Amino acid sequence: MAEETRNAEQHQPEDDLVLVDRVVSGDRRAFEALVRVHERRIFRVTLAILGNAEDAEEAMQDAFVKAFRHIDQFRRESRFTTWLTRIAVNEALQKRQARKNTVSLDEVAEAEVQVLPHRSQRWHEDPEKLYGKQEVRTMVEDAIQSLPPIYRETFVLRDVEGLRAEEAAEILGLTLPAIKSRLLRARLLMREALAARLEETPPFSKRVLITASRMRDMVAIKLMKAVGQ
Amino acid sequence: MRTLDCREVLDNLSDYIDGDGSDELRKAIERHISRCGRCRVIFDTTGKMLKIVTDVEPFEVPLGVSARLYARLEKVLSEK
Repeated sequence: MAEETRNAEQHQPEDDLVLVDRVVSGDRRAFEALVRVHERRIFRVTLAILGNAEDAEEAMQDAFVKAFRHIDQFRRESRFTTWLTRIAVNEALQKRQARKNTVSLDEVAEAEVQVLPHRSQRWHEDPEKLYGKQEVRTMVEDAIQSLPPIYRETFVLRDVEGLRAEEAAEILGLTLPAIKSRLLRARLLMREALAARLEETPPFSKRVLITASRMRDMVAIKLMKAVGQ
Repeated sequence: MRTLDCREVLDNLSDYIDGDGSDELRKAIERHISRCGRCRVIFDTTGKMLKIVTDVEPFEVPLGVSARLYARLEKVLSEK
């Protein structure tokens, strides 16, 4: 089936509607195609809210099951992505509330987070070239995970998933000014967090030189021992 | 001509990056940035950070997580 062989990048919002129609009219397998397209997004969202992969997995599963069982309630007033993301956010927030081992939204007054940029060094023109893409990805993931939950979820919805500010506000039950205020802080915190990692980790090329230098020393020591020095 | 201090410029950073805000505000921000090296770096690196985040596509679904999701869905989709 054409829709099912497309990858997520090629997938368009209209394709979602075709698949939703098929599911509603009884073709249950079409739901698998929807899952394939959206699983990464939903995992990132639940991970952003819950902060660990185990809980995120459970919330993701529950969200897809709920979406399947209530798909006839999707009214097309918003994009399918927004509807599905809202379900996942609700599942994750309920789990977080039940778990009560992270600070709740109410407990973190936004004013408490001081966001005054203190790193004002320029960055390398192309950090991915300097460190390698995988290493930069790990730094980005660590930096996102280091954000306080309310900023992490805002950042992921808006800047990782690319939702519009209005959509992110609707999903999180916030006003537009509130989401924009959180987004500003989230971006400033994220800039600081990533800057810290980029500044503190020596690039791959430098690590290769350090390793080569250590190996050269070891070889020299062994040679000296071998010749009885 | 409107002038802004660093705090005001920083408060509007996010809107500026998203292309929001009036022309007058955007021009006032650009004037400030052209003179203030610190704000220029903060704007520049925030934009870079957003580009890097988009480029690296963080957080893949681990294979086991994906497999367990499809296994659970298989049961749900097979329900009568």
